[in-house]
Amino acid sequence: MLVIAIAKGRFLKPSLDLLGRAGVRFDEDVASSRKLICDSEDLAFRAILVKPVDIPTYVEYGAADIGIVGRDVLAESRADLLQPLDLGFGHCRIAVAAPKGFRNADETDHPTIRVATKYPSITLEYFNARGIPVEIIPLSGSIELAPLIGLADRIVDLVETGETLKENGMEIVDVIAESAAHLVINRASYQTKRSEIVGMVESLEALV
Amino acid sequence: MNSHTQIPPGTQILIGNAARRRRAVEAKVFSVFEGWSYEEIIPPMFDYFDVFIKGMGSDLEGRIYRFIDREGNVLALRPEFTSLLAKMAATRLSDYPRPVRLSYSGEVLRFEAPKGGQQREFAQIGIEQYGGSPTTSDVEVLLVCMESFEKLGIPDFQINLGSVDFFGGIFDRIDLPVGEVDELKEALNFKNQTGLERILDRLPFDEHRKKVLRSIPHLTGGPEVLVKARNLVRNDRSRQAIDHLEEIYSIFDGLGLAEHLTIDLGEIRGFDYYSGILFRAYVPGLGFEVANGGRYDGLPAQFGRDTPAVGFSFSLDRLEQIVDEGLGTGEDESRAALATSSFEEARRFRSQGQKVKLCW
Repeated sequence: MLVIAIAKGRFLKPSLDLLGRAGVRFDEDVASSRKLICDSEDLAFRAILVKPVDIPTYVEYGAADIGIVGRDVLAESRADLLQPLDLGFGHCRIAVAAPKGFRNADETDHPTIRVATKYPSITLEYFNARGIPVEIIPLSGSIELAPLIGLADRIVDLVETGETLKENGMEIVDVIAESAAHLVINRASYQTKRSEIVGMVESLEALV
Repeated sequence: MNSHTQIPPGTQILIGNAARRRRAVEAKVFSVFEGWSYEEIIPPMFDYFDVFIKGMGSDLEGRIYRFIDREGNVLALRPEFTSLLAKMAATRLSDYPRPVRLSYSGEVLRFEAPKGGQQREFAQIGIEQYGGSPTTSDVEVLLVCMESFEKLGIPDFQINLGSVDFFGGIFDRIDLPVGEVDELKEALNFKNQTGLERILDRLPFDEHRKKVLRSIPHLTGGPEVLVKARNLVRNDRSRQAIDHLEEIYSIFDGLGLAEHLTIDLGEIRGFDYYSGILFRAYVPGLGFEVANGGRYDGLPAQFGRDTPAVGFSFSLDRLEQIVDEGLGTGEDESRAALATSSFEEARRFRSQGQKVKLCW
């Protein structure tokens, strides 16, 4: 049996659709059920529903063999996972944004710029590579609020359309990376359940 | 003030069954090592910092616990055994008849996040062999690893076998800035086909080279993988690596053990010191590797004597999670004795060689 970790939230429906097209169907409506574990009728697959940020952990520890997770979450987790495929949905950008008109000013204003984010590792790596000292202000939501009330000079956040930034008087300064849903695999499972997993990767590859 | 009732993060204490299991697993693995004539060596807990840097490379530098002695030398608590033993093989044991077969068991320390039951201080048990001929010593080391699994009652294990020379031969001929090479290697390491495709799109490689690189993540499976790989690469180093793996595979096929081997030419992880085969062992139900090893011919020369070397180690902390739970948890064989005559009786039992525990 292959255990698949699926993210609750905005990835849930497209993940299930894609798996369905690859022949992985669960016997009940996973999306509307409150169950956290669902098996496929032939017991070849088991879905576990977890918070997106927890997917790399479940898969790295082998509690799930494979998972579907955003590149943003994957990069932030630093988990050592096989990551064969971009699944072609959930596209967005991890970007540095600042209040309009402050694109360049803040680096000279403050010796250490303050950056609010839910991606401390990605943020630190980005600014370290540029030699810019930063103070990370870790937040878990409504990141755009931080510069508005003087908590931070900049933010590093996921940007889908840019609407939220615009409405809050901010603009993108730089794009750190593109993000999309990605297939990830536990390294041990890849060896011990190889034929099942390779079959799965091939059928998904044909679809994306 | 902190009373430090807790032990530091990354350390652990083994008590009762956990301690008994550690020693029982260790004894079983050692019995296999001894059966293959590997001699135990007990190296120091710390050595000069640069001893470890020579082999492990800068990648692990930040994860080494280091300190400074009174003369100002930088020392390091051992983060692994291979460098320590290679140094001994090249120096104190340089006159020993070859091949030299050594085994070890003990704690190593690395400043990294605890994972899969392995803390910052964790236990390794393993072997190293110096001066043997390439194929026979590679096969011997793999066989000792397999026999250890059998001895521990773990019939279901998978060893993935690759070669540094296979992708080395491909990368030797790639002339790119270091950053680009690292990016390429990262995509291959993660078998990230989408990411690899994006990198190849912008690199000025000819179609043949792109085809080779694109195939690497898929070069995993049975002996057919080697056939596929041979048709793909043209350079000598990669081709010799394929010949070598084929030779090893056919020996295990003859031994009836080939089912435990997976060829994985896309496996490019490993310390800088590896130079030929490299392998990792997995067991169903555990998300992390339980053993890894390989050939590192260049390492002993760093300490003054060039000698071929190959070895592997088990993570004891992880082995303990997959062995039968009963192992090492035998009945308490202490004999009870009543208070009045207890000392005398205790002495009598002891003289008969029995273990005694006085119960009051």
